Amino acid sequence: MTPPSYILPLCVALPLGGAFVTALLGRKFPALAPLLATVVAAILLGISLLSVKLLLQHGVVVYTVGGWPPPVGISMVLDGLTAFMLVTINLVVFLVVIFCLDYVNQFTARWNFYVLFLMTLAGMNGVIVTGDLFNLFVFLEVAAVASYGLVAFGTEKHALEAAFKYAVMGSVGSLCILLGIAVLYASTSTLNMADMARVLAMSKPGALTTFVTVLFLMGFGMKAAVVPFHAWLPDAHSSAPAPISAMLSGVLIKALGVYALCRVIFNVLGASPRILGVLLFIGALSMVVGVFLAIGQWDLKRLLAFHSISQIGYVILGIGLGTPLGIMGGLFHLLNHSLFKSLLFLDSGVIEYATGTRDLKAMGGLRAKLPLTGATTLAASMSIAGIPPFNGFWSKLLIIVAAVQAERYGYAFWAVLASVLTLASFMKVMRYAFFGQLNSRWNSVTEAPFFMKLSLVAFAVLCVFGGLLLLPQAREAFLGLASEAITNGTEYVNMAVTQAR
Amino acid sequence: MNELEPYFRLDWLSGSVAAFVAGYTVLTIVYSMGYMRGRQAQGRYYGYILLTCILSIAAVFADNLVLFVVCWGLLGLLLYLLTNLGESPGAAKTAKKTFIIIGGTDSLMILGLALAWSLGGRPSLFDLRMTTLEIPIVSPVGVMAYLCLLSGALAKAGAMPFHTWVPDTAQDAPLPVVAFIPASLDKLLGIYLLVRLNVDIFVLTKGLYVFLMLLGSFTIVAAVMMALVQHDMRRLLGYHAVSQVGYMILGIGTGTPLGIAGGLFHMFNNSLYKSCLFFSGGAVTREARTDALDELGGYAHAMPVTYTTFLIAALAISGIPPLNGFVSKWMIYQSLATVGRNSGWLWTLCLASALFGSVLTLASFMKLIHAIFLARPARKIEGKKETSLLLLAPHAILAGLCVLFGVFAFQLPLGRFIGPAVGTPIDYPGDWHTLAGALLLLAGFGAGAVLYIIGTALRARTVEPFVGGEVLEEQPAMRMSGVEFYKTVEEVPFLRWIYHAASQKFFDLYELGSRATLGISRMLSRIHTGELPTYLAWCVLGIIVLLFVLLGGSA
Repeated sequence: MTPPSYILPLCVALPLGGAFVTALLGRKFPALAPLLATVVAAILLGISLLSVKLLLQHGVVVYTVGGWPPPVGISMVLDGLTAFMLVTINLVVFLVVIFCLDYVNQFTARWNFYVLFLMTLAGMNGVIVTGDLFNLFVFLEVAAVASYGLVAFGTEKHALEAAFKYAVMGSVGSLCILLGIAVLYASTSTLNMADMARVLAMSKPGALTTFVTVLFLMGFGMKAAVVPFHAWLPDAHSSAPAPISAMLSGVLIKALGVYALCRVIFNVLGASPRILGVLLFIGALSMVVGVFLAIGQWDLKRLLAFHSISQIGYVILGIGLGTPLGIMGGLFHLLNHSLFKSLLFLDSGVIEYATGTRDLKAMGGLRAKLPLTGATTLAASMSIAGIPPFNGFWSKLLIIVAAVQAERYGYAFWAVLASVLTLASFMKVMRYAFFGQLNSRWNSVTEAPFFMKLSLVAFAVLCVFGGLLLLPQAREAFLGLASEAITNGTEYVNMAVTQAR
Repeated sequence: MNELEPYFRLDWLSGSVAAFVAGYTVLTIVYSMGYMRGRQAQGRYYGYILLTCILSIAAVFADNLVLFVVCWGLLGLLLYLLTNLGESPGAAKTAKKTFIIIGGTDSLMILGLALAWSLGGRPSLFDLRMTTLEIPIVSPVGVMAYLCLLSGALAKAGAMPFHTWVPDTAQDAPLPVVAFIPASLDKLLGIYLLVRLNVDIFVLTKGLYVFLMLLGSFTIVAAVMMALVQHDMRRLLGYHAVSQVGYMILGIGTGTPLGIAGGLFHMFNNSLYKSCLFFSGGAVTREARTDALDELGGYAHAMPVTYTTFLIAALAISGIPPLNGFVSKWMIYQSLATVGRNSGWLWTLCLASALFGSVLTLASFMKLIHAIFLARPARKIEGKKETSLLLLAPHAILAGLCVLFGVFAFQLPLGRFIGPAVGTPIDYPGDWHTLAGALLLLAGFGAGAVLYIIGTALRARTVEPFVGGEVLEEQPAMRMSGVEFYKTVEEVPFLRWIYHAASQKFFDLYELGSRATLGISRMLSRIHTGELPTYLAWCVLGIIVLLFVLLGGSA
């Protein structure tokens, strides 16, 4: 029986088609856009869960576009990492879409919002499923350009400025990636990642590969917002509408940044100890610098945005350890971060929706008026601060244990320090926003509408019970396969080539 | 039950701690039914209290280190939520500080867990059985593992240098919560972990024992010095809660069975009299609607039962025989002397500070008792104000236990559960027959009372005090509220400097940390100017550095 590999192109085609239809008909039928987006997101969530099952049954699955065998044609590959990322992205996006159902009402031209939203989703899914390096670049740009538009969607002064900065820096990153791809293409004469890995493995690693590695580190590092390529993120993520911030911080930087970086460095170029060392250092630097910057912020969303830098640092640190446990911890933290950070941004959205402010100093005592938002923010804060038994605790535990196991005691210590500071800064959020005396300005504030609450609760439940993924069976099927895809390095994608033939 | 076997373990230590936890929960709930009546969020309050009880018991019974850390971490969260229910304006700030300290040390415990696992030689992280590890501390990594886990125990118990949340919480959290968690439960849990660490999880080096003893001694003296000069009842008691932990650490830090037994006994005793003090003091301050010492006074007549229980607990904490605090302190002194037989002069220092701390404790309780019960009232108190049975019963029971544990120390607590918990037979070099001592003391007091009544009281006459013809009630300046006691301590040359530094929060790890953090944060923010060219320059710089690092070596 041939595996139903046709679900892979659906991951791209559905949102892209949805965006197209919305762009055509959205203005005429205002109810269509949210409905279509929700349906698409729900189907995609189903598909991504199906992909895990598919992977368990058949192993690596390859879809060849138009029946052209690789390396001539474009292929789409489903391995452990792909399935993991698909589930992460589509889960978060589905819940964010539910949140949008109520939230987007405050904007004009709603259908535009959904067009860009679905485009971003298509780009992200494309980056994840594709097995072709140039294809990856194209999807990356689709997602990136759509997200520039989304950041500017509020069309206020600071939003436009942030979008401009984001666009310029994003383009610089993209250019570096394109240059890297061009150089690789010139030296290997192929664009299929698996094939490219095979060619590179046969030739001696030289200065050229190292140069390409640097370009990719910078380009994908820019997308992932690791220090020192992070400067666009706090502006962009804090200026976007809240659900978009949730999507950008929750999944976009991971799909375009962390995933692509891992795929290229581990599966195509091959990770030498020195590159791992660089990843470790960059990860630790982002982790610490991000959290120090975050703790001084008074703008809630800016604070959250800086924490994204810090948390991505954890992910990179875990992956940079290069041990199975470290990579598993890093990926698990990636999943967890996308859950709790999305939740935090959505909570900030509820606060902004209810009070119209993002300034922590102006809030106070909101717990009395927004009890559900307060509770979910608390759950997400506990998760991001790594308080047991919330999900963030387990992934941080894995990362710290892996660092100790690799005898990287210094990095383990920095991870702990950043964790303490993360806790401190979220205590600040809780204190100024939710606890303390109710600011009399907010006496008439009411809790969010139904769909927003639904989304918050779903995220919070996932944050509380996310740690269950570490139970042996779930771990093997989901996180284990994903981290195997990275640990096995260049061999794994070779399997993708043989599969297709 | 076999499925639970690798995760939970019942022994004398965990069993007795759990029993105390359950007991305090009952008392706290009874007290809260009186104290918290009419407050908001009652459902949440009792829910948190019950959850705290369940998780504490789970933590104590947990044999799996990961499970333990999970329960432990959740307890910190619950304390945070309970503190936030406080009605004072500082509650939110204090809750934040408390949770940063406790949660922060929990993060350190994760590191300690990881290090312990790397040393323990178990295949899986989830196989770390607390009671069977016995990791010898031979390398710096071992020391780090121990210190990381220790920090969790110290923060929970409120020992220095992680103590600063205790006085703040004592002041701002709802009073029953203070009596329940920082005064009793967290002591039990923190010291429980300390004992587990020292006895079961690690095999300590001599240096670490010395470190613990010095830490304990320093905590005793420094905290009690701070307690001396407080003007707020709850805050004063909060500093004593810190100081008493010093005795426990000192006893357990000796590493002898006698010292460990003494430390554990002191832990149980402290939780008894400290909750009693908070409960009975709270009954007064609820009546007076203030915690400030200079606005209290004269409640000995109005609330005689509360006064008695407070007095018993105050004498117990000061180590007056025949009460329980004396017996446990006596055991700790003896264990110090036993250690001293084999080594140096350090033990004399520890012993001196323990004794000195005990004296200062008594002194500061004289101040407290005077200010609350004996001083001339700041406001007129009309008739008897004794509180309801709900508020009275818990501290009456606790005071009774203080007496019982003192008079029958060897028969009841030491013989029944502390001895079995320590395991090895305990050797008592210094003889103290609790019951005989108590009877003799009672006889002495009785004789004194008879002499007093015959010699003085019967021949006395009552007159108004003569104050140069002035009416005393009209001279507020003539009132000794008790706040002025020991004011001169703050003016002693060297101490003056220390008290000043303490008032500037120079010794508060939390304050120091937050100042440093915000300083670095500001510095980093300053270079984030928002100018695109600068940011692009960083990117270029990043590429150059990456090229240099990755290409540099291969060329």
